[in-house]
Amino acid sequence: MAGIRVEYQEELKALEASALGGLDLVSAALGRTLEAIEHQDIELAQIVVADDDRIDGRYLEVHQALITLLATQSPVATDLRLIAAMLHVLKNIERMGDQCVNICKVIPMSGHEPPADEEMVKLILTMGSHTKALISQSKRAFEERNIEMARDLVDRDDVVDELNRDCFRLALAIGDDADKREWAMTMLLTARAIERIADNAVDIGEQVAFVVTGLFREFEDASHPDQHG
Amino acid sequence: MFGSQAKPKAEEGRNTMSQAGPVTETSSEAPGGAPAARRAKTLEAKEVNLFYGGFHAVENVNMTIEPNKVTALIGSSGCGKTTFLRSLNRMHELTPGATVRGDIELDGEDIYAAGVDPVAVRRLVGMVFQQPNPFPTMSIYDNVAAGLNFNSGKVSKSERDAIVERSLRGAHLWGEVKDRLDRPGSSLSGGQQQRLCIARATAVSPEVLLMDEPCSALDPVATLAIEELIGELKKEFTIAIVTHNMQQAARASDTTAFFNLEESGKPGRLIEIGPTERIFTKPTQKATEDYVSGRFG
Repeated sequence: MAGIRVEYQEELKALEASALGGLDLVSAALGRTLEAIEHQDIELAQIVVADDDRIDGRYLEVHQALITLLATQSPVATDLRLIAAMLHVLKNIERMGDQCVNICKVIPMSGHEPPADEEMVKLILTMGSHTKALISQSKRAFEERNIEMARDLVDRDDVVDELNRDCFRLALAIGDDADKREWAMTMLLTARAIERIADNAVDIGEQVAFVVTGLFREFEDASHPDQHG
Repeated sequence: MFGSQAKPKAEEGRNTMSQAGPVTETSSEAPGGAPAARRAKTLEAKEVNLFYGGFHAVENVNMTIEPNKVTALIGSSGCGKTTFLRSLNRMHELTPGATVRGDIELDGEDIYAAGVDPVAVRRLVGMVFQQPNPFPTMSIYDNVAAGLNFNSGKVSKSERDAIVERSLRGAHLWGEVKDRLDRPGSSLSGGQQQRLCIARATAVSPEVLLMDEPCSALDPVATLAIEELIGELKKEFTIAIVTHNMQQAARASDTTAFFNLEESGKPGRLIEIGPTERIFTKPTQKATEDYVSGRFG
């Protein structure tokens, strides 16, 4: 029956939009991060670091509003599952933002010279664009409560994981030059950070399944790789 | 067991007269120090239909009220939950024109079978009401002992003392009233009066306690005290509680049953019953979801 608890329902909707909007912020941060890697743009990297305050601010603001809703509205059933999932997703978003910061902090360490290995930079940029796609897919899956779309994130994440392994192989083969090796190390950290961002997108997909079904289950369990399903 | 020859429950096994103390006390015979929780009886409704004259108030309810658990009946006003509760101890038929169809069984025995004494049923299936209703002029002691006098005639003074103390302890009231047992029941606060009524209901050693919005006339502190008491009482009794307070159902019950009616004038029906935790996190029916989420009036 319409007309009951309308404000509460609207607030919940607005908070969901605000929480998921955090994924747009992360996507933008990752886009700038990739640009900074590609062009060795230290200033742009610094902007990403400074701008992470917006992502953290979004986290704190929505988190507090959700706690208030829990305290004042006693949400249950779907509303409760949605709020629990949002608290989780907010943390994922905050972590994704931090990974962008981690990458941007190592860009100055990789030096002002052109990158030592074009192929590796290309791999990392490819990883980054795949990961950006994962971020927007996780957002859409959440908005649409679409478990299929959420589950598909696992397959797409496999591509990112494979690219990460390719980076590792390239780094091993980079040769004996100390500067090159150091550069390769920072690129490995970068690849690893991007890979973690993609993992967080998969985690968000798992929360979609929780909101819909009420059951939390990891899509893929890294400690028991044979049992996933 | 419901006939006039039915033995007073107080003379059976667990509630021997010498066993004073709270009903939740740990028995010395219990193996391995397990709580002396005894298995109370199961109430089972089968195809229950309830009528007020020509008005079909409750349609086709099938549900089990499990022993030693708290089953909460929730639903909006007029959905039939109180009517259903009152059918569980044959109080529904006290309303002129009210009739019952279907079976209600207490551990397999039909409480509506021919020859069953409704008064005996009501002793085994006690009721606590919304408004605390102690006998106002009777003393606290006599309020608790009232059912004993009506039900079993010959209870000695010392036995009666023991039952009154045990019942008051069980209702978390003994400490507050032990020095003024001769004062009238109406001298107590609302919350104390409700606990007195619970003591009165448990004094006759029922199997099942039915509670019809037992906290709706109480303040929050008294409400929490009753809820805590309900949690203790389920170790001894089977409990069904009607409540409009969803948080109370969530806090105090093990099983939640949601009643609803399609529209005014239609009979109320049981929509969904399940573990409370599931009903409040992942109900299967949309009507349940809407009700527990407060999307219905």
